[in-house]
Amino acid sequence: MKLNLNDMARCLDLPVSTVDRWIRQGRIPIHRSGNGCIFKESILEKWAFNHGLRFSLPNEERKKERNFGLTNLLPAMQVGGVFHDIKGDDVESVLKSAVDKLPVPAINKQGLYERLLEREALTSTGIGKGVAIPHPRASLPDEIDNSLITTCFLEKPIDFEAVDDRAVFVMFILLSTSIKNHLNLLSRLAFCVRDDSFVEFLRTYPDSSSLLSKIADSENLLDKVDN
Amino acid sequence: MRILRRWRHPASWTIFRLDDRLLLILIAVIVGTCSGLAAVALNRSLIAMFEWLHHFRHYWWSFIMPAIGAALSALFLDKMVKEGAGHGVPEVIYSVSRYGGLMRFRSSFSRLISSCLTIGSGGSAGPEAPVVMSGAAIGSNIAKLFSLNDRQRVTIVGCGAAGAISSIFNAPIAGMVFSIEVILGEWKAVNIVPIAIASVAGTEISRILQGNQIAFSHRLFHIGHLDIVACIGLAIISAVASVLLTRLLRSMHGVSKKAPFPIWVRAAAGGCAVGIIGIFLPIVLGEGYHPLRTMIEGAYTQGLGIVTLAVFAKILATSLTLGWGGSGGIFAPCLVIGSLAGLTYHRGLVLLWPSVPWVNEGCFALLGMAGLISGMLHAPLTGIFLIIEITGGYEVILPLIIVSVISTTLCHYIEPVSFYLKELVEKGQLLRPGTDARVLSDLSVQELLEKDCIIVKQNMLLRDFINIIKKSHRNYFPVEDENTGNFLGMIHLDDIRPYLFNPLMYDAVVLGQIMDTDVKVVYLDDDLSEVLRKMDVNRLFSMPVIASRKFLGMISKATLLDKYRNELMVQTDL
Repeated sequence: MKLNLNDMARCLDLPVSTVDRWIRQGRIPIHRSGNGCIFKESILEKWAFNHGLRFSLPNEERKKERNFGLTNLLPAMQVGGVFHDIKGDDVESVLKSAVDKLPVPAINKQGLYERLLEREALTSTGIGKGVAIPHPRASLPDEIDNSLITTCFLEKPIDFEAVDDRAVFVMFILLSTSIKNHLNLLSRLAFCVRDDSFVEFLRTYPDSSSLLSKIADSENLLDKVDN
Repeated sequence: MRILRRWRHPASWTIFRLDDRLLLILIAVIVGTCSGLAAVALNRSLIAMFEWLHHFRHYWWSFIMPAIGAALSALFLDKMVKEGAGHGVPEVIYSVSRYGGLMRFRSSFSRLISSCLTIGSGGSAGPEAPVVMSGAAIGSNIAKLFSLNDRQRVTIVGCGAAGAISSIFNAPIAGMVFSIEVILGEWKAVNIVPIAIASVAGTEISRILQGNQIAFSHRLFHIGHLDIVACIGLAIISAVASVLLTRLLRSMHGVSKKAPFPIWVRAAAGGCAVGIIGIFLPIVLGEGYHPLRTMIEGAYTQGLGIVTLAVFAKILATSLTLGWGGSGGIFAPCLVIGSLAGLTYHRGLVLLWPSVPWVNEGCFALLGMAGLISGMLHAPLTGIFLIIEITGGYEVILPLIIVSVISTTLCHYIEPVSFYLKELVEKGQLLRPGTDARVLSDLSVQELLEKDCIIVKQNMLLRDFINIIKKSHRNYFPVEDENTGNFLGMIHLDDIRPYLFNPLMYDAVVLGQIMDTDVKVVYLDDDLSEVLRKMDVNRLFSMPVIASRKFLGMISKATLLDKYRNELMVQTDL
């Protein structure tokens, strides 16, 4: 195979100058011809493995990167869906009927329900302003493919033992594939809720499409602040 | 035209790209042959010079001849080929350890000519080191022609040296062992195979052209137990002699450097002194192979006093020749001094215990040679194999090993570094493969640069800076000037921790006020050992790298360990 020096260095995850020097000194099974590096993939792979180095061709690398990327709020909410008029008079019954609506067929819903309750027993997930974010303590990498947030508007506000003691009227059930994703989604959601106008908007019980477009706006704002 | 171009670059021929090892062996044959030819050429021209100048020896002014030879050789080296004096082996080792064996083409003949002038006219020096240098340079240039990489080139340089020694002494194993033990310092199959082939080629060339003669043949020795015990004493004497020679050579070098004359005048002065010594003790003149033969045969008739004097005279003459600017090696003088020391010791023994049936004095001459070579080069194996091969006497192997090993050990006590390596070690340029110095010198600051630092401006507010902290992976932030882009200082996260949760400070403080301006920095072309020393002295774990007042990146011990380990693994495998 033939690659140019810069790509070669990227494949080996080494500085260009190191690869250049190693080729010159004959320490790596690569031949130079002009700016090209000629090598046999299998030999180089074995060599890299024996020397504790990484070697992967450029296209394989990109695939890996996508898996490690973080999910944003909007796609998670799109997967999770938006539901109105969730019935129930207390935390347990509300969570029970919300879990039944979750668009995740493969999951053990009874188990998930118990895990959500377990988390609530620790301390309430009502974060104030009438919003609650129920979630299980551990992430669910095996049970779901993508992180998701299911938005549930309650039929009537209930007491969630929230931090500010205000009755909760909307729940965002947060299920994530990894802790990192969980924290990322939680912090983005918290950023939205911190904005009073957003909560006012939620109190109008918006339908799915307008909620999602509002989320998209807020998220753009968030990314702008970051940059 | 195209065909011509293909011929000029043999590296592009497909046949040579089939297998690297085969290619190396093929090149080793070529290099071994060429350096063998160089050795034979020097040997022949020395003989010719000797015969030609022999008629002038009995004139009263003959002591000037070494002076003329040394001066001519110094002039030739200094003015025509522009190379330093000296014997050449350190230069080969230097190029192997520093430049992957790259050597100039002119080195392949310059030393041959200059040493021929020095030795042929009577200077006390050996033809081996110049031949080694030529062989190595030939190897290096052939390797360049085939565009081999550094590691292969180093092996081929070793092949050149091995071929040269093998050819000049008709001693293939000694050539091999010398090349690996002294020149390369690395016993690995990848080196040994081509070097062995080159030794065979070099020896064969010498046998074809000069006949298969053992350089110093001798009678059979009958070695008794007492002789083996007596060897220990000989080892001590030869160790003393080699230390003396090392010291004297170095101090002569120092003295001559201070003398306010051009180099050829200095060389002439040294040669003149040698010539004067030669009037009284002709044994000191030239490379000394002829008296060596007489001594080993046991036919050297001078008494104890003269022989003892000759040891010192030869040491002095060698130091005068080489230290003052003549050109040549210390191999042959070592052999002569060694055999003289052996004779002295033997005569001393006979004087003290006349009733003991000591072995023939030629045997002690042999052992003394091995002792001197081992002691000077710190290379016991080279000493042992060389003496066995040039004398064809395997029966002396036991005392030979004892003398070589003890002499090396003793010399190691007094002079921790061998004569060849001393200068290099003092300059910190001896980089044997797989050592710390080698790894550190191969890695450069450029390769260790971490570029994931976020650069901030000096007039930035703390509030903006806190947003940057959110995204950064590092605790260090370089500060630069807005307009010039010059590096001003560093901010460590610890510096702003007290203000981090105090929003009142957010708009009141700019980074220029917080930053640390007294930062120890590293420059791009700094040596890593120096960088590490700086880190240790200042107890730092990372330092900013600066080039022309701009910030380039950070260098840290953590990355260094990572890369160091990679480098060590890559360098020491096979």
